[in-house]
Amino acid sequence: MENRNTLEVNKLTYKEFFLDKVMLISYVFLALFFFGVVEMVYERYFLLSATAADAGLFPGSRAVAEAMKEAVFGNGGEVKREAPWSLYIVNYIYMVYVGSGIIFIVAIGELLENKEIKNMAAAFLSLGLAMVIAGLVTILVDLNVLNLLSMLLSPQFSSGMWLMLPLYTVYVPLVILEIYLVLSHKDAWIKKIAYAIIILSLLVEVIEFYVQAKLFDMNSARHLWTTYPLLPLYFVVSSFTSSLAIMSLYVYLNKGNFMLRYIIERATLYFVLALGIYEAVSYLFIDKKWAEIILFGDFKYWFYLYVFLAVLLPLALLFKHYMNIYFKITAAFSIILGTFLGKIVFVYGGNAYPMSDRFGVGFEKYFEYDEVKNVIFFMPPFSEVAIVIGSVGIVLIIFRAVDLLLLPKKLVEKGV
Amino acid sequence: MNFAMSLDYQSCIDCKACEVACKEENGVQLGADKQRIWVSQVETSIFGQPFISLHPSQCNHCLDAPCVDVCPTGASYFALGGLVMTDKDTCILCKGCMEACPYDARFVDDTHVAVDKCSFCYETRLVHGEMTTACQATCPTKVRLLGDIDDEESDLVQLLKKRKFYVLKEEEKTVPKLFYLLPEHDDYFAMNSVSPDTNIYTWDEYKPIIEAAKAKRKPQWKTVIL
Repeated sequence: MENRNTLEVNKLTYKEFFLDKVMLISYVFLALFFFGVVEMVYERYFLLSATAADAGLFPGSRAVAEAMKEAVFGNGGEVKREAPWSLYIVNYIYMVYVGSGIIFIVAIGELLENKEIKNMAAAFLSLGLAMVIAGLVTILVDLNVLNLLSMLLSPQFSSGMWLMLPLYTVYVPLVILEIYLVLSHKDAWIKKIAYAIIILSLLVEVIEFYVQAKLFDMNSARHLWTTYPLLPLYFVVSSFTSSLAIMSLYVYLNKGNFMLRYIIERATLYFVLALGIYEAVSYLFIDKKWAEIILFGDFKYWFYLYVFLAVLLPLALLFKHYMNIYFKITAAFSIILGTFLGKIVFVYGGNAYPMSDRFGVGFEKYFEYDEVKNVIFFMPPFSEVAIVIGSVGIVLIIFRAVDLLLLPKKLVEKGV
Repeated sequence: MNFAMSLDYQSCIDCKACEVACKEENGVQLGADKQRIWVSQVETSIFGQPFISLHPSQCNHCLDAPCVDVCPTGASYFALGGLVMTDKDTCILCKGCMEACPYDARFVDDTHVAVDKCSFCYETRLVHGEMTTACQATCPTKVRLLGDIDDEESDLVQLLKKRKFYVLKEEEKTVPKLFYLLPEHDDYFAMNSVSPDTNIYTWDEYKPIIEAAKAKRKPQWKTVIL
């Protein structure tokens, strides 16, 4: 490779770019994503709803009749009051934390002058950034974007949710700059800037994990989140486990060099172990009302499946250094899926214990013929599922576009 | 001025007139899950016989409300008089306040695509100088009483000086301002609606708690956004 102080763009035909195999797969996911968005927009902004005044003023109106029918027989709208945060939040925290985890690990590798990591730094950083963007897009879809300007006009410095705005306004450009410098730096002074940027990004990442933990910890009534011991540490451990699994999958699929594979594989094993220990210890501290639902109640199958996929199976497959690559790919997939399930248990589990025990004499019901709910769980609507699955397309298209256009091909393919 | 409400909930007959009045007067979205106020039931049994406790409830307008702290836009805020209000025009539907509320008192109003909750009828009554709410006015058994707890001579404080009361989920430290009056003259049945772990207060015992929370939060009280 010759010295490059500027960014070089790979020469590709339109066909090579747009009809690339990974790009084609991303289109399928993106189609699902847009289908979900259309459904969501209809449900959120166009589903008919009415008030008593509408019913009085327009008694013969067809629209009011439809709205009344929806009020009586509908499913209560998009958001359930007992479980406001749902799959959107699961996907947001998964994508953002795991993406940030990848970026963090690469930054550490760069800082430690690890040659293997450095060689693939640009690819990993792009992958991490693509995941962060997919997470942010998911949360954007979850919000009422029509009023989003009020976040800028009325800053709330004590709100964890608001703190994400300045955080990602700094973080995303910082990572883009980091990728640029990794791809183009050769001069000594640029190298120095690169180090400063890496240290700055590490600092922002630490703040990020703190802010994200604050977001959940502020919900004082949801004791799963407030009693989880060292919540920022949980996010770090679980996210890094998935980050390493995704990195290892990428290295295996791109036939990265042996040393890099070995480093990531060992690191994955240690983080899987740490995650297992963390989960085992944390449930000694978690409020027993929530722990009971998750360990022995309605959430138990989800929880044990999570532990099996994220901890037990990968441990069995990675503990001995088997040479069989299928073992390693299976372990990586198992961790990716398992940790996503873990986030489902975390978010849905937080809402699982009903808030309706207000008087301390039992769960309340609102109608004579209603059912007393002692566990809260709602299946997400199809639009939400489509958006979450479709967000994989955002990761693929961003990463592949950077990969095809900017990454030095020989470097990636040979893992030099 | 510090608005609060007492509920003599043992008088509730589950007629749901309060729910209807609230919806009609405040333009609340129709739908069973879209309630600013509600009458819930807890089913228990006494000596094998089914027993139902009726619990009218709504937003507690907590003095130390966690829903205000989590809001990223200030759409959930403290208004003058210690009311916890929502501004639908700046709500981005992050649902953080719904997660923060220990009482499930908030819901999404689909007509405005924003979070909604009880405002003690500020927009329809308090702003015009009335000292009552739609739910209070319509109740045939006079369960609710809205008042100013800063005014020792108000009907509400006078009532609280006579009757013992308790608040909901005190352990969450939100300092709620719905005061549930302890059932009188019935130690066998009505007391089943009160948890043995609940702290029972007299006005003199609870007043310092209110004053401390008010001193902490009053700087955040601002004019109501209409």
